[in-house]
Amino acid sequence: MSLLLVAAAPWLLTTGYWRGILVLCAMNVLLALSLNLVMGYTGQLNLGQSAFFGIGAYVSTILIKSHGWNFWLAALAAILASGFVGLALAAFATRLKGHYLAIASLGFAVITYQVLINWESVTQGVRGIYGILPPVPNTVALFYLVAGIAAAVYLLLDNLVRSPVGDTLRAIREDEISAASLGVNAAIWKAFAFGLGAAIAGLAGVFYPGFVGTLVPDAFGIIESFTMMAMVIVGGMGTMIGPVIGAVVLTFLPELLRGFGELRLMIYGLALTLVVLFMPGGIVQAWMSVRHKTRP
Amino acid sequence: MKRVLTAIVLALAALPFAPQAQDKVIRIGVLMPISGPGSYFGVMGKEGIDLALEQVAKTDLKGYKLQVQYEDSACSPLQATNTVKRVLDQFRPHIVIGEECSDASLAIAPILEQAKVVQLNAGSVTMRLTESGYKYVFRIFPNAEQQSAPLVKVARERLKAQTAVILYEKTNAGNDNAEGFEKPFVSAGGKVLAKIDFGRDVNDFTAIATRIASLGKVDVLPTFALEGQQVRLSQALAQAKVVKGGGGQGVQMGSIWLPWGYDQKAGQAAIGYVRIVQFDPTEKRKVVQDFIKAFQAKYGADKTPTHINAHAYDALLLVAEAVRRGAKDSEGIREQFTKFKDVEVTTGKITFDKKGQNSDLSVVHFVETQKDLSWKGLSWQ
Amino acid sequence: MTDLLTLVVQQSVNGVYLGCLYVMVALGLTLIYGVLNQINFAHADFVTVGAFAAFFTATRFATKALGIPDTGAYLLSLFSALGAGALLGWLVSAAVFAPLRRSGADELRPLIATIGVSVLLENGQLALFGPIPYQFDSPLARETIRLGPIFFSGQSALVVAVSAAAIAALYAFMRFTFLGKALRAVAQDRETAGLMGINENLVIALTIVIASALAGVAGALLGPVVVLTPFTGASLIVKAFAIVIIGGFGNMEGTIIAGLLVGIIEAFTVQYLGSGLIDLVVFAMLLAMLVVRPTGLIAERKEENV
Repeated sequence: MSLLLVAAAPWLLTTGYWRGILVLCAMNVLLALSLNLVMGYTGQLNLGQSAFFGIGAYVSTILIKSHGWNFWLAALAAILASGFVGLALAAFATRLKGHYLAIASLGFAVITYQVLINWESVTQGVRGIYGILPPVPNTVALFYLVAGIAAAVYLLLDNLVRSPVGDTLRAIREDEISAASLGVNAAIWKAFAFGLGAAIAGLAGVFYPGFVGTLVPDAFGIIESFTMMAMVIVGGMGTMIGPVIGAVVLTFLPELLRGFGELRLMIYGLALTLVVLFMPGGIVQAWMSVRHKTRP
Repeated sequence: MKRVLTAIVLALAALPFAPQAQDKVIRIGVLMPISGPGSYFGVMGKEGIDLALEQVAKTDLKGYKLQVQYEDSACSPLQATNTVKRVLDQFRPHIVIGEECSDASLAIAPILEQAKVVQLNAGSVTMRLTESGYKYVFRIFPNAEQQSAPLVKVARERLKAQTAVILYEKTNAGNDNAEGFEKPFVSAGGKVLAKIDFGRDVNDFTAIATRIASLGKVDVLPTFALEGQQVRLSQALAQAKVVKGGGGQGVQMGSIWLPWGYDQKAGQAAIGYVRIVQFDPTEKRKVVQDFIKAFQAKYGADKTPTHINAHAYDALLLVAEAVRRGAKDSEGIREQFTKFKDVEVTTGKITFDKKGQNSDLSVVHFVETQKDLSWKGLSWQ
Repeated sequence: MTDLLTLVVQQSVNGVYLGCLYVMVALGLTLIYGVLNQINFAHADFVTVGAFAAFFTATRFATKALGIPDTGAYLLSLFSALGAGALLGWLVSAAVFAPLRRSGADELRPLIATIGVSVLLENGQLALFGPIPYQFDSPLARETIRLGPIFFSGQSALVVAVSAAAIAALYAFMRFTFLGKALRAVAQDRETAGLMGINENLVIALTIVIASALAGVAGALLGPVVVLTPFTGASLIVKAFAIVIIGGFGNMEGTIIAGLLVGIIEAFTVQYLGSGLIDLVVFAMLLAMLVVRPTGLIAERKEENV
């Protein structure tokens, strides 16, 4: 049912602007899903997801623009690159817990951002790369492409968390020490979660530059990491549909508030705080408890 | 029945001859950074445009009205792209004024070009905006080369400078201006001892000033940063005795980025600062004085307009002028712009060259900060 | 600045001053983390609010309305900044931290909630004060103190002096007063402290108020030396975070050492590598430290409960 709604979306919102927002929404869904895998299911506090988004964007764009690669090959390379870096971050993760991991991931995100800014010979730094074309010529097609990929990733992850792998990840989330006593090699599985999460974020990143047409490092800073985290938490961490809802809400909310002019971001901040305060498990949980109460 | 049919046919036939309701509105989309740190430009830009709307409404526009819609592009290519699409879809403007930040301006140029809507830029320095072959882009703001070349000329010829340290904010604009100074300075035989960049979030400059002090004899220090950081930088340089304001011998140089009133904020440290200005509130031209009077009447007697106010104001004035000369739509505006010669506005006279860049820099002049922190106009060119 | 020794000493002086600046911001964060295990992301915005409170008190209220001379006005503004910070702290504690604690939240939800508060504060200040930087002149900011070839501004000396005093006062408070000891008890083991009759909610609220008051005072001190806009907080928060962690979460001595270290490293990075690389070097150092010594500079005394 919801798939039908998604498929029909570009025909309900027919202007170029809203269709563009739909594409952005699809990308954010991918990002939220990727972060949810690491944080929601494996319980690892990751503040650096925007770095993988950025790696995906820059690696693919540089390969296409400076080396003439074909989009799909460049995309594959970018996904592999992000996944690989994710595994590297996991090497840290295995030794660190809770807040130490949080700050390591934060530090990693800052370093990646600084590299993107400073390594001008490769990334053009703050000057930016211009004239980037999307893989398909129009916005509607781009939406179907990205949304289709997001749906596929959703199904993949859904199956994953229902499988014994999901049980393992959840065991690590709940109590790493007990899990170890049951023979779970936490290090390997954490690395897996990080790597896969990073690869999916990189996948989202591959479509970003083509969508905007311009690539500058400003979309890959710390604030973006926190926005992704907000999507996961507002939607409902640790559920599959939660991040999707969170991504949709937090993509559309700032756009819908545009009529408010200067008050826009103030309202956004207030809304964010209130949602977190009053909906402990995110929108998913609030929805569930409403349904519970309205049932006879 | 036949009579009814005849009546309908006659009514339908008469329609083309009925007086058509004229849609005499020119729609202007304005993309400005209203949120985020870029709002420094957006707030001032909006002030300028709002004032211009009021002033222009008092003049004859051949029965046309100007209608403006603001969108917040937050200095970011992503938001600029989204909001330009939004404004094109919902408002269908005949012209878009925007943006202030170079990345955002570059991001929207191809979209507006494709939509055949004129882009009038009043705030970005990047050369690429007018070097990329766009037919619908016009810019009244001086680009990086136009800003930095006079600085090099004066540095070499008047100040006899051999060495320079270039300081710039780490943005597209800062980069372009810094390069715009470095290349000609080096080809004229000068030596750049260091090119020091800093992010917009740097608050303290004592370490940078100390570093410069350790580089030896520095003759000029061209600086490209916004006023907040400039104040702190000047003060640190003065403390380190690198610049004249602190008892040193280096001369700080700057471009039009600094508004009037900067010197009072920086204090002693600004003494001896040599820079070019385009909008000069001490100018006697009627256009400038009228603008200042109207600005102070609307926004407060203690506020002096800055060049950002002035450029935005001028942008809207130019649209009005195009309409007065017969423009009725985007193509008309574009045509009138290409024909503009010596159109007078607060920031000088406007003549667009073939690339859409205003090439008239006749009011740009040098000023030097005196001991009483006032400007003294220099007759250098 | 002719010889190497002078240069090294000067940059070290710059670094110490810069470090004290960061420590003033990070100290409150550490305090809250130590007691609550939570990060107040809006902390740096409290600093900004403190700076604006001090600015308006010193320039509009004290000098114009009351006619107090400059120095007195500035001292008065320190108090108003303290008050502003304390008030904000109390509000955030009552409206955000306490309810989340009651509903049994983990560490993430308060973090996101305080991000919302940070966005709200930043944009609220933008609407009130506008984006153009304010010129906050304190009487000492215009003075330069020179000891031979070494220089520093009067305000930097004040920053160092006040931060030292604040640290000493905090230390004495924690060690010697009943409230301070209660605070440490709650920080170490909340359950046991509760069993021993300590009203943990009151203690936690008090901690947040004290930490936020510290943030306010930091704002009053920093106002004359930073670029004062509603976005000043955003430029400081991530580094403050990093310092809290490098020092060892919740550990005051560690935070101080880490802050000074970051300041000095920044100064020398500017000298030898380039100011565009500051963040890169500081965070690379952070990561290196996490590899070598994951618990921070001075090991946290907490053990994980098995």
